[in-house]
Amino acid sequence: MAPHDIRRPFKRYAISDQQKRREIALQRQAQQRRDSQHHARCLASSVLSLPNENNPEPIPPEPTTEPEPE
Amino acid sequence: VAGIELPHNHWPELIGSLLSNIHQLPSHVKQATLETLGYLCEEVSSDVVDQDHVNKILTAVVQGMNSSEANNDVRLAATRALYNALGFAQANFTNDMERDYIMRVVCEATLSAEVKIRQAAFECLVSISSTYYEKLAAYIQDIFNITAKAVKEDEEPVALQAIEFWSSICDEEIDILDEYGADFSADSDVPCFYFIKQALPALVPMLLETLLKQEEDQDQDEGAWNLAMAGGTCLGLVARTVGDDIVPLVMPFIEENITKPDWRQREAATYAFGSILEGPSPDKLTPIVNVALNFMLSALMKDPNNHVKDTTAWTLGRIFEFLHGSTIETPIITQANCQQIITVLLQSMKDVPNVAEKACGALYFLAQGYEDVGSVSSPLTPFFHDIVQALLTVTHREDSGESRLRTAAYETLNEVVRCSTDETAPMVMQLLPVIMMELHQTLEGQKLPSDEREKQAELQGLLCGCLQVLIQKVGSSEQTKYVFMQHADQMMGLFLRVFACRSATVHEEAMLAIGALAYATGPDFAKYMQEFYKYLEMGLQNFEEYQVCAITVGVVGDICRALEEKILPYCDGIMTQLLKDLSSNQLHRSVKPPIFSCFGDIALAIGENFEKYLIYAMPMLQGAAELSAHASGADDELSEYTNLLRNGILEAYSGIFQGFKGSPKTQKLMPYAPHVLQFLDSLYLERDMDDMVTKTAIGVLGDLADTLGSNARHLIQQSVSSKDFLNECLLSDDHLIKESAEWASNAIRIVSG
Repeated sequence: MAPHDIRRPFKRYAISDQQKRREIALQRQAQQRRDSQHHARCLASSVLSLPNENNPEPIPPEPTTEPEPE
Repeated sequence: VAGIELPHNHWPELIGSLLSNIHQLPSHVKQATLETLGYLCEEVSSDVVDQDHVNKILTAVVQGMNSSEANNDVRLAATRALYNALGFAQANFTNDMERDYIMRVVCEATLSAEVKIRQAAFECLVSISSTYYEKLAAYIQDIFNITAKAVKEDEEPVALQAIEFWSSICDEEIDILDEYGADFSADSDVPCFYFIKQALPALVPMLLETLLKQEEDQDQDEGAWNLAMAGGTCLGLVARTVGDDIVPLVMPFIEENITKPDWRQREAATYAFGSILEGPSPDKLTPIVNVALNFMLSALMKDPNNHVKDTTAWTLGRIFEFLHGSTIETPIITQANCQQIITVLLQSMKDVPNVAEKACGALYFLAQGYEDVGSVSSPLTPFFHDIVQALLTVTHREDSGESRLRTAAYETLNEVVRCSTDETAPMVMQLLPVIMMELHQTLEGQKLPSDEREKQAELQGLLCGCLQVLIQKVGSSEQTKYVFMQHADQMMGLFLRVFACRSATVHEEAMLAIGALAYATGPDFAKYMQEFYKYLEMGLQNFEEYQVCAITVGVVGDICRALEEKILPYCDGIMTQLLKDLSSNQLHRSVKPPIFSCFGDIALAIGENFEKYLIYAMPMLQGAAELSAHASGADDELSEYTNLLRNGILEAYSGIFQGFKGSPKTQKLMPYAPHVLQFLDSLYLERDMDDMVTKTAIGVLGDLADTLGSNARHLIQQSVSSKDFLNECLLSDDHLIKESAEWASNAIRIVSG
């Protein structure tokens, strides 16, 4: 049972640049993941909602469904 | 042995037989018994010892501590045993009489003639201050008197513990007040008793006295911890606890001492000033800083004492950290004084290593304060060239290995680059080959002895960190990207060579830099994959240094987005390793949510080719989803982790659905749809999601509808998520949740025809 160490940081600046680099990298990755998802969704919705003029093969329409009862 | 056996109830008679020894003579048996009880309490969790035994242990320990105990060894063993037993004493501390008795005995022990007993007794008080803060009101006045006497008169190890008591009270009150501040409506578990505010008029002078007790060489000795250091640290915590109220109590001390001939007085005054810069409002501090700034700059240049200069540079850094930046109304750095400040700091970077390191730190915060100036112009632009040159010169100093000087110089360079604007882009571009050359030189060296190798590895880590920042800066704008592209091959070659070095920090830094490089190069990154792959795999296998593993998982995501389907040849290996990581008990749990997100990145990149991984990945996701859906947090840390895990799982689902979109293999996902919807429903019903999870969850509903189309119509319509959850999200104030919900609503509308 040695005495408990009570040393605290002394005249140390609070920020660690290494930690900051990690966090910035994580933020960048999260942002890009969101952008990729967003891009995929935009592609999907444009395929779904816009008539594709350049494509000789018309996009098969979504199978028509019967109106659902409320 | 008891640590293993007691939790399994394999040694029920142990405590009883130990306690029976207490009443025996001779003293050495008593002492050994108390020591054993102390170790036992240190090792064993408090829930495996029943209250009856706890009571008996505490009785024995407190009896051993009592001033009537003649043998000091017994008394010391008992006091140290109490330190370890305090965690068991929850019930006893709620009983007024028992608590009074324990506190009386501890306070008496602080007055023992034996220094070790006094020290151990103060250690008990420190532990009580954090464990039983809310029970201290009745004793705080007495404790103040005891600690004040110890700080003033006692030997250093005892005085340090006495100061630590007040630092620890500050920690408690800062936490409580933070909680108050975060949510006014929250019923904090523990109310704030404002002990520090009440003690302030006596506490501050006591701490200020300690500042004058510096040691001659304390700034050179990394392991040093003395009265002046502890007192200043405590003063800083007091300032954070009480804010403005501390300022008038400290100012007279500063004014009286700052110009005295004795360096100790000048240093103490400066340290006091630097210590109180975090906590009080800028309104209160700015006028004082405006007066002090010139004096500080002059002291940094002219004071004959290195300690004074060290503390002055540190104080300037704290001024820029807390009182300079876009959020501060009245700027303390103006057109009129900017040049002088920079000139002094650059000059000071030529001083002895400990002073130069603090000057670099001050420059770091000076640059940081300008990070929001916009993309065009910064007040630092006219000095940019000189700043960069001065920092590079510091990194080349023979003595830059001392006092973290080289690290500080590179880190400051990073911040200066991060906060730079278009005006200085040409200089930032020129820096890229310079830092590459530095890294190249570290790789050319002959075989080094092991301590040199360690320093070399540290330098390589710093250079990779710097290159990461440069890649991000130069690669982020179309105007400068071409320069980066010119160097990309060479840079990648350097990073691959860095992997030959075994240090974890270097791997992490090189990996982060490669992630940034992959993002900036895009599909061109494919040409590096063959060579890079083995290091990627090594990173994913690095269970012990989980930070390296976590960073590598993130880089897999970067590469997926850069290469898209070109990553396919490497996916078997990557997926195998990620699945192994998920199944491992060895891997730190914090890496698991990003691994799930990474499944999403891979699926989005390779589309329907993800099919062959479905049978492995989906059960993992389902298992984790079931666990996380109902794991509503017992504590904040667990609920934060649960939400991270949920987010990872949902990002995986999102990526998988979007990846398969439009493929004939979409049907392969149908069997998993009921579970995904069930997961969304249970998340909604648990009502403990954070905003991030809500946004991702409602997005997954849209992705599922979008990809599976009318085949999933009935399933979707049966789910709560497609009705109540979606409707709530559509009405959300959070723009991102609303946007995701609109996406989901649109996709469901199309599916429903």
